[in-house]
Amino acid sequence: MNENNPLDFSMIMASAVHDMKNSLGMLLNTLEEVFGELPKEMQNQPKLATLQYEAERVNNDLIQLLGIYRLENQQLRLRVDEQYVSDFIEEQAARYETLFESRGIKITLECEADCIGYFDHDLVAGILNNTLANAARYTKDEMKLTAGFEDGWLVISLSDNGRGYPQAMIDAPGEIVKGINFQTGSTSLGLFFSAKVAALHSQGDKRGRIELSNGGELGGGIFKIYLP
Amino acid sequence: MSSFKPPFNYAKVYSKLKFLVVDDFENFRLSIRQMIRSFGVEKIEVASNGEDAVQKCTYDKFDIVLCDYNMGDGKNGQQILEELRFKKLLKRTGLFILITAETSKDIVMGARENQPDGYIAKPITKAVLQKRMDALIEQRETLLPINKEIDKENYPAAISLCDAEIKKKSKYITWCFRTIADLYFRTGDFAHARKIYEDVLSAREIAWARLGLGRVLLGQKHYEEAISSFTRLAEENQDMVEAYDGLAETYRQMGKLKESQKNLEQAVTISPLAILRQKQLGEICTQTQDVEAAANAFRQTVKLGTHSVHDDADNYLQLGRCLSDLSEGDTSDKGKTFAKEAIATLEKATKRFDTSEVKLQSLLIETRIHKGQDNLDASKKAFEKAQTMASVDDMSAEAGIEMAKTLYRLEETDKAEKLLHKLAQRFEHDKKVLAKIEDLLDEPVSLQKKMKARELNRNGINYFEEGKLDEAIKTFEEALAESPKHPALNLNLVQVLLKQMEGGKLKAEGLSQCKQCLDSVAHIPSQHRQYKRFQFLSKKIAELG
Repeated sequence: MNENNPLDFSMIMASAVHDMKNSLGMLLNTLEEVFGELPKEMQNQPKLATLQYEAERVNNDLIQLLGIYRLENQQLRLRVDEQYVSDFIEEQAARYETLFESRGIKITLECEADCIGYFDHDLVAGILNNTLANAARYTKDEMKLTAGFEDGWLVISLSDNGRGYPQAMIDAPGEIVKGINFQTGSTSLGLFFSAKVAALHSQGDKRGRIELSNGGELGGGIFKIYLP
Repeated sequence: MSSFKPPFNYAKVYSKLKFLVVDDFENFRLSIRQMIRSFGVEKIEVASNGEDAVQKCTYDKFDIVLCDYNMGDGKNGQQILEELRFKKLLKRTGLFILITAETSKDIVMGARENQPDGYIAKPITKAVLQKRMDALIEQRETLLPINKEIDKENYPAAISLCDAEIKKKSKYITWCFRTIADLYFRTGDFAHARKIYEDVLSAREIAWARLGLGRVLLGQKHYEEAISSFTRLAEENQDMVEAYDGLAETYRQMGKLKESQKNLEQAVTISPLAILRQKQLGEICTQTQDVEAAANAFRQTVKLGTHSVHDDADNYLQLGRCLSDLSEGDTSDKGKTFAKEAIATLEKATKRFDTSEVKLQSLLIETRIHKGQDNLDASKKAFEKAQTMASVDDMSAEAGIEMAKTLYRLEETDKAEKLLHKLAQRFEHDKKVLAKIEDLLDEPVSLQKKMKARELNRNGINYFEEGKLDEAIKTFEEALAESPKHPALNLNLVQVLLKQMEGGKLKAEGLSQCKQCLDSVAHIPSQHRQYKRFQFLSKKIAELG
């Protein structure tokens, strides 16, 4: 490789990610079809859920990688549209229906039917998918996804009854923790992405943000995204 | 799992809806079919390609079309939607949902422009599809009475239904506001539309309202305000092509074609796959005589046309014309390349659109290309062929103008003028045709000469305004050497000469030069926009003797 013409790694990454996403889509569809062809009593086994869950996780990571790449390269800018929030959160929760059922996790949704928000559908969906997938890993058996307005902010919040977020994350949500924690496999990439996307949403001088805390009604971790 | 399900019987609604599933992969069609059947859908048809889909929609009305973006070699999902919208095969009560794994910016932007009613991103799972469909179906059912009235173009009824929905504090309240404003706009009631957009904007900066306001202001011909509205929209939503479209249209109406071109170019950079905008850009560039940019835009138009409903012989002919202009008199390698591409483009046009009209126009353009490259034999041959196909009394306006342009280039000026006069009579009620005839009569010279004459004319006017009459006269004379028949140029020179004669200088010589100029303009027909000025100046010169 010529020194004057350095390898554009991010571009190669972006195209590889795109390709992987397509393959993953085929994989997920085929999986669902294969399991659909099994006899009824075998259809509900946890292995299917695990396969789907892990594939979804890879898919989420890829969406986030691609999303960050695009935002950094100004390729795809924020597209704020009016959203029916209840439809939106139902749809995101539906992605994990099989997983939640197989793990015995109960999820409750709360949102007024006429709640209308203004945000980029795909990017905020990326945040929620990542958060739901994470919570599914750390919760004991319960989750609550709520959305509504607080002081003019649209707040979407996901709480669980697991052991909660570590203090370091709560103090600096969205900062890439130096290095990767190989023991937990956590890269905080998801939170980094969430914080970035939230901050891109602005209205007047109000800017979106994320907040992490522990406790609340269910006693576990609470993830909140504030959108102006 | 949800604690707030509205009372809505989805299965019952699904069972009466008619679905069309479009994808080139059989497996995919089957799995989507299975999924929606499990929701309670009973009427499902499938199509494996764009032609099939469009045909099915022609003979049958579907409530929901689920269409994949990527369809192999044929039409893609965006082009299918474009065609269905263009042919008015999709009613407002019908939903078109695009399924896509594509994340490339060009594709996303292109798809947005035809406004599908929804997107579903791959990978699709049953649960996600169901949630998305449930939401779309609920909205469709709720708004069905309104959309039915809009389809019938019974707008007042639609507006009062929207009002009722708003009073109910419906979930779709902003949809209703947006729809009412749009309906007012469509019926030309700008004041009411404007009020709604301004009310919405006073609560929050929302793109559709800002865009709507810009369009209303443009409709009311408040150009400056329209520009500031569109500019603000573009600043806050950099990907919003509609903002640049609005700016381009405003500047076009103001007669600022260069500005219009700049904004269209911006829109095309953001969303390069929209064929009609490329064509529009080509046409504006032709008017601003930025022929190289025009050629680029028409080149894209031709390319995007391959599977599009907007594929048209005119796209090819326009490209051929631009390339012919670019190659004229340029026998360098660059000129030769343009000439070659022009010939190839025209060949494709006659192959794709096998009509005598296309053939005739192609031959005429070809005649000029060969002439411009000094291939006189080939030029003569093409022109002879063209002449056997054309008859002055019934050729189309376009072919007639093409013929006149070619006659000028073959230095058959008398024949060209005669033909144009005949055309002016035959099409005396068609303003667009008349304008083209005028342009040709004014400047029947090559592009290079036109550009030079234009610049000299500007300089001449500047000198005149500064009172430097001698310089002005010299400059207009130089301009006329490039474009001798140009009416405005000739009349400008007459005016300067008159002014100079007021000072008592060189009367006899000045007068004879004025008469010469007026003779050069004598060919303009009475419909010409310089005709009154010509008559006025002629009278004045006659009085002076």
